Amino acid sequence: MKKLLLTSFALVTLTTASVFGNIAFAATQTIKANVNGMVCAFCAQGIDKKLRALSQTKDVYVNLKQRIVAVEVKDGQTLANDTVKDVIKNAGYDVTSIEISEHPVAHIKAEMEAKK
Amino acid sequence: MYLKPMFYQFCLFVACLQANIHALAGPMGFDESFMAMGDFNNNWRESFINYAITPRDAVGISATYMRSDDKSKTRTLEELTYTRLITRWNAPHSQANLWFVGGIGALQGEDERVGKDHDFDKIMVTPGVQFDYETTRVYFAANYRFYRASSINHDYSSVRAGFSFYEAEYDKTQPWFLLEARNMNGLSDKIEITPMLRLINKSFFVEAGMNTDYKPRFNFMYIF
Repeated sequence: MKKLLLTSFALVTLTTASVFGNIAFAATQTIKANVNGMVCAFCAQGIDKKLRALSQTKDVYVNLKQRIVAVEVKDGQTLANDTVKDVIKNAGYDVTSIEISEHPVAHIKAEMEAKK
Repeated sequence: MYLKPMFYQFCLFVACLQANIHALAGPMGFDESFMAMGDFNNNWRESFINYAITPRDAVGISATYMRSDDKSKTRTLEELTYTRLITRWNAPHSQANLWFVGGIGALQGEDERVGKDHDFDKIMVTPGVQFDYETTRVYFAANYRFYRASSINHDYSSVRAGFSFYEAEYDKTQPWFLLEARNMNGLSDKIEITPMLRLINKSFFVEAGMNTDYKPRFNFMYIF
């Protein structure tokens, strides 16, 4: 009986650790694009609005000075880099490079502001 | 004749609505967006709204009131307009654009002449081009637009240049200083010089100034 209890406890502990471990280590996906031509907030609002309209988008960050557009993807969802590229291109701008970051938009924003 | 006041009321309503909600640099917004614009001073008042049917094309309506410096000539124009982004150059820290803006519409005119006034109605066509260049700190634009009807030439030309006082974050308001020189052929012999303060935010774009004759000027743009 004691052995059974210990085994059950070990199983529950392992399962819990596994579930919470997955959540804790589930990577935030943020697509970060370098954009050419983005010089005016009023004109760049098209990028912001169109990206926010995507169902996978959690948050968007635009930095004119650093020429960055960052799109944080909702947990459990995926967003193709090409979709982000197309949205930015259709808004009238050119994407020069694109990368995936594991940091949320808030972190990228803080990082950018620290560069000032 | 009954439709004319209604059309102006509609345009005024649109202008007021936009001003009440919030109050750009290019003459159209992004794909599937509306852009409302207004340009008002004593002799030139224009309300304009267009809808971007593609990322590069927009169609709209416009109402313009024009008056000569001596107030002897007045014109009103209601137009259907088409705007096209002909080409855009994107660089790391700058952008330049070449635009086509044109329209066709009904012109009503009144010329005061000694002993007799002269009224007329004509069809007016208004094809034009605009070039602009901007960075986060400097702005330049040149615009030429034909305003032609039978025996009428009110071509509009303007040059604008300015600078921002500082760079601003995307979600903060950025103040600019602008100087504009413009002329309306057949309505004014002068080149009107207007220094203006421009405020740009991601949601709105407003300009206010006073020309060298101390006449106020107000412009706005709003995308929704």
